[in-house]
Amino acid sequence: MDPKLVEVTQLFSRFKAAFARNDFDTCVDLLSQLKVRLTKFPSLPPSFQQTPNAVEELKIARDIYEHAVVLSVKIEDQDAFERDFCQLKPYYMDTCGIIPPSPQEYPILGLNLLRLLVQNRIAEFHTELELLPVTALENPCIKHAVELEQSFMEGAYNRVLSARQAVPHETYVYFMDLLAKTVRDELAGCSEKGYDYMSIAEARQVLMFSSDKELHQYIAEEHPEWEIKDGSVFFQKAKETQPCKEIPSLQVINQTLSYARELERIV
Amino acid sequence: MAAAAVMVSSASGLLAMLQEPAAELKLHALANLNSLVHVFWPEISTSVPAIESLYEDEEFDQRQLAALVVSKVFYYLGELDDSLSYALGAGPLFDPSEGSDYAQTLLAKALDEYASIRSKSLKAAGEGDEKMDPRLEAIVERMLDKCILDGKYQQAMGMSLECKRLDKLEEAISRSDNLNGSLSYSIILSHQYVSHREYRCEILRCLVKIYQTLPNPDYLSICQCLMFLGEPETVGNILGKLLSGSKDDALLAFQIAFDLVENENQAFLLNVKNHLDTLSLQTSAQTLPSDQTAATEPSGDAQMTDDAITPNGNAHTVDPNEVAHADRLTKIKGILSGETSIQLTLQFLYSHNRSDLLILKTIKQALEMRNSVCHSATICSNAIMHAGTTVDTFLRENLEWLSRATNWAKFSATAGLGVIHRGHLTQGRALMAPYLPQSGAASGGSPYSEGGALYALGLIHANHGEGIKQFLRESLRNTSSEVVQHGACLGLGLAALGTADEEIFEDVKNILYTDSAVAGEAAGIGMGLLMAGTASEKAGEMLAYAHDTQHEKIIRGLSLGIALTVYGREEEADTLIEQMTRDQDPILRYGGMYALALAYRGTANNKAIHQLLHFAVSDVSDDVRRTAVLALGFVLYNEPEQTPRIVSLLSESYNPHVRYGAALAVGISCAGTGLSDAISLLEPLTSDVVDFVRQGALIAMAMVMIQTNESYDSRVGTFRRQLEKIILDKHEDTMSKMGAIMATGILDAGGRNVTIRLQSRSKHDKLTAVVGLAVFTQFWYWYPLTYFISLAFSPTAFIGLNSDLKVPKFEFLSNTKPSLFDYPKPTTQQTTTASVKLPTAILSTYAKAKSRAKKEAESKAQEKAEAPPSEDASTSMQVDGVAEKKAPEPEPTFQILTNPARVVPAQEKFIKFLEGGRYEPVKLAPSGFVLLRDLKPTETEELVLTDAPATQATNAAAATAGQQGSGAAAMAVDEEPLPPQPFEYTS
Repeated sequence: MDPKLVEVTQLFSRFKAAFARNDFDTCVDLLSQLKVRLTKFPSLPPSFQQTPNAVEELKIARDIYEHAVVLSVKIEDQDAFERDFCQLKPYYMDTCGIIPPSPQEYPILGLNLLRLLVQNRIAEFHTELELLPVTALENPCIKHAVELEQSFMEGAYNRVLSARQAVPHETYVYFMDLLAKTVRDELAGCSEKGYDYMSIAEARQVLMFSSDKELHQYIAEEHPEWEIKDGSVFFQKAKETQPCKEIPSLQVINQTLSYARELERIV
Repeated sequence: MAAAAVMVSSASGLLAMLQEPAAELKLHALANLNSLVHVFWPEISTSVPAIESLYEDEEFDQRQLAALVVSKVFYYLGELDDSLSYALGAGPLFDPSEGSDYAQTLLAKALDEYASIRSKSLKAAGEGDEKMDPRLEAIVERMLDKCILDGKYQQAMGMSLECKRLDKLEEAISRSDNLNGSLSYSIILSHQYVSHREYRCEILRCLVKIYQTLPNPDYLSICQCLMFLGEPETVGNILGKLLSGSKDDALLAFQIAFDLVENENQAFLLNVKNHLDTLSLQTSAQTLPSDQTAATEPSGDAQMTDDAITPNGNAHTVDPNEVAHADRLTKIKGILSGETSIQLTLQFLYSHNRSDLLILKTIKQALEMRNSVCHSATICSNAIMHAGTTVDTFLRENLEWLSRATNWAKFSATAGLGVIHRGHLTQGRALMAPYLPQSGAASGGSPYSEGGALYALGLIHANHGEGIKQFLRESLRNTSSEVVQHGACLGLGLAALGTADEEIFEDVKNILYTDSAVAGEAAGIGMGLLMAGTASEKAGEMLAYAHDTQHEKIIRGLSLGIALTVYGREEEADTLIEQMTRDQDPILRYGGMYALALAYRGTANNKAIHQLLHFAVSDVSDDVRRTAVLALGFVLYNEPEQTPRIVSLLSESYNPHVRYGAALAVGISCAGTGLSDAISLLEPLTSDVVDFVRQGALIAMAMVMIQTNESYDSRVGTFRRQLEKIILDKHEDTMSKMGAIMATGILDAGGRNVTIRLQSRSKHDKLTAVVGLAVFTQFWYWYPLTYFISLAFSPTAFIGLNSDLKVPKFEFLSNTKPSLFDYPKPTTQQTTTASVKLPTAILSTYAKAKSRAKKEAESKAQEKAEAPPSEDASTSMQVDGVAEKKAPEPEPTFQILTNPARVVPAQEKFIKFLEGGRYEPVKLAPSGFVLLRDLKPTETEELVLTDAPATQATNAAAATAGQQGSGAAAMAVDEEPLPPQPFEYTS
């Protein structure tokens, strides 16, 4: 067997061990070493050279990246999640026929969908969705994300919040917590557009805060432009009003005249 | 295997990898992106900022790779500027010789960028220097070096010219395998593609430098360059050196002189001549050691003079050498003064004159008696038809008819004589004597004929006025008649064309300040002619006076004059042009158009074309618009194929003035080319609804078709018939009739032996011709100016000369059917058919035509009979005779021409020199004056044209002149034309 592959396998088993005992610092360290090693494998994307070890290499690389994704969820690092997922994706998309599909594929894809939902990147969410085969939609992990998105779009936020109880995979919990925050942001945005002002009690209820203090903190952090006075929250809408634009009649007349003059000069 | 087709479907993985903290991963990602960028550039483009930040990260050790990736992405996005700047950042990773589309495009971009920065920094003289990116320079240099190494010298030369890297140009030339070829290629390049005059001068200077380092320099080219640079001393030195060399060197010197003369730069030639004089004085001052000094004096480049001198110099005594040298010196001075070539041309035109008097007769009879416009047009047409041939038979035969010309018509008629006798330098004054103002004696003649005669003298001596200047000045001073002043101003301007003679200028200026409309107009033009091409500050003076005066005529004359002063100065003239084109007065704007035309003559300069087109469509004055379009013809005459395309839209303009301008623009730029496109464009215009457009189109058509015959382009025949129809048609407008008459003259100009040529054979501009044509276009306002067209005529001749500047018998081949370039057939049959339409005219015309034909036949027969015994053998006639005999047989595919022969421009490419003959041309030119090297100098030479009889004949002129006038048909070929007897047509 190829010494490089052996080395990676050994390193990976050390990683898995650390992963199992939740020693994340070691994991991160090992992972970056692993990634560097992986760049030495010519059979990996994007070159896909056909070496005798190609299948083995691809499999282990995929495994490493799947673990990396899960790790990033565990250490709650969204950037790392996105990075690792992007690097993992070619193994799902482009390696059919070389290595068998991974059992982890759908949970991780669903996780990604959830992440996009959390980050409120709805367009990308749908792009990802379109790339999946129809059968994949039946998978509970994917289905979960799709349903969430539908509820989210309908504005049935209570359903979104209650879905936390029915997660298909334990890794999903992290994102479900984040989703609550996204829902709140969405509600805040709607309220801002919908109302001129709102009493503090109502606002607390709408934004699902348990105390006024939390509300105040939230407003200070996320919407400093809101004003709190006389027991109400005022949404500053005045600044958005802009007058309807005037028709630049003089300019248009001038232009037309100059066209006419030019036309006359045309030989 | 299926895996073979595996490709990543997205670059997002790699892009994500860029965000990894580990540098190896980034590197890996970049390397992969670099190889995949052609597929995934749309995806990568969104991440370009990330890669850019990698490039800007000082700590990242593969910044150049990042730059390369970004550069490629920008290339695919079409952002070549950004792409180039990052490619430069990529340093050695960017490989210009890679051969991919990317590399090639960027390379081209880099060259463009480099060239534009270079030209900008040259213009800004230093300030722009810091803008030059050393990396860009490195790339370009790398490329140039590579070209030179690969042996692609022409590319290297072109690029270094474009990039203004004369050092590289020098390197490319000096390393190329064919030095002379490379040099001439560079010269052509510099003329065709370098639009900036100063830069062109720099290139030429550089080329001359290289030329001079050669062991065996091509003096012909050097001297052409030097002439462009305006360095008469250097040319003088070269000529002096060659003259004191071997016989072959002397031949070369003569050839150089002829080539220089062809460019018609009078002031330059005078300087060369003067310099030669001083040189010879120096050498004669140190007579004793003359050989050694002559050899060693021109220090560095004297090797070949040394070689040449040793065999015949040191062994002998000094004397025979001195004599030979003095002889050569006088000869070359003769050539440089233009006398030799003018004399030979005159002999050629005289002996080969084939003008068809019948055409003129038809015109004369078809015209109404009292229409003075057509009457003077006919006189003009006759003058043009016989320009330079000295044949004035038509005038002599129709003295009474001629005397109908009165006032200004008389002025024109007299001036016409000048055109007919153009170049008759020695006899010119004697010829015009009867009409010239008599000093002292009570002037009998009318001022009109006197003025005309002065103008005629100017035309005779155009651009070679050394001998006549003084006389013209005196005449100008001694008269107070504005008509005479008018003629004298024009005459002076012509004679002293471009010499910038201060005294004459003052004299003419005094006339201007009399503020007389008639004289002032001519004075304006005359001043311009004097200062042509000098860009002197006198132009400012003229402009100021143009603002002061009330007379439109004077303003017009002045504005044309100002335009003439900036002839050929290109950018230098921009301020003046700007001043004129922005003026309130349309006449000055009109002058501005001419200034544009002349300053940028024959450069096809884009800026000038753009400006002219702008004025052509936007000016409010019709005159300005007309002139703007017309001026395009001057700017574009170096690329005649372009003109029809550029003006084709304008020729369909609703404005007749613009159409007229378009017609003349094509006529000017395509003159003498017979270009098919040009003819197609002009054809519809010849039947335009507006009379003056028809006039312009007919004249332009004649200019294009000059020297082409029916078998070359069938439309020539159609056009000739159309002209005849217009002239004969009673209901035709006077304007178009006049156009048709003039067109007839131009079509058969100079006895069918001249063409209109605005560029010399070495692609230099002919000052006289361009100026002549520019003033000619003024005939719109002032008919007498029509005669200026004669300045643009140059003979279509091959004249071979031996070392004595005599014309030896020499044969060469025209490798095509003779009929293709033959003279048009005489018009006998055509007139008879035409006369059917005019029942009243049958008898006289028919009878005359018949008798004429008979006479011609007789004279021909006589000639044929005479030809064999005559010892100097009118060989050309013989050959023609042979061709006629062969006519019914299948036509031969070649023709033997005999020196001196008519070679029309289109025929030049078929000319071949026969091997193994007695003579060998010094320069392989198919036409013009060519010196012939005698390979068998011991045998006696057979001469064809000799000028010896001329002097004898002059003495005998008085006795024989009586017969001479009418004896045109029996011209002896080998004689210099005799001065015809003076005749008075005034009653």
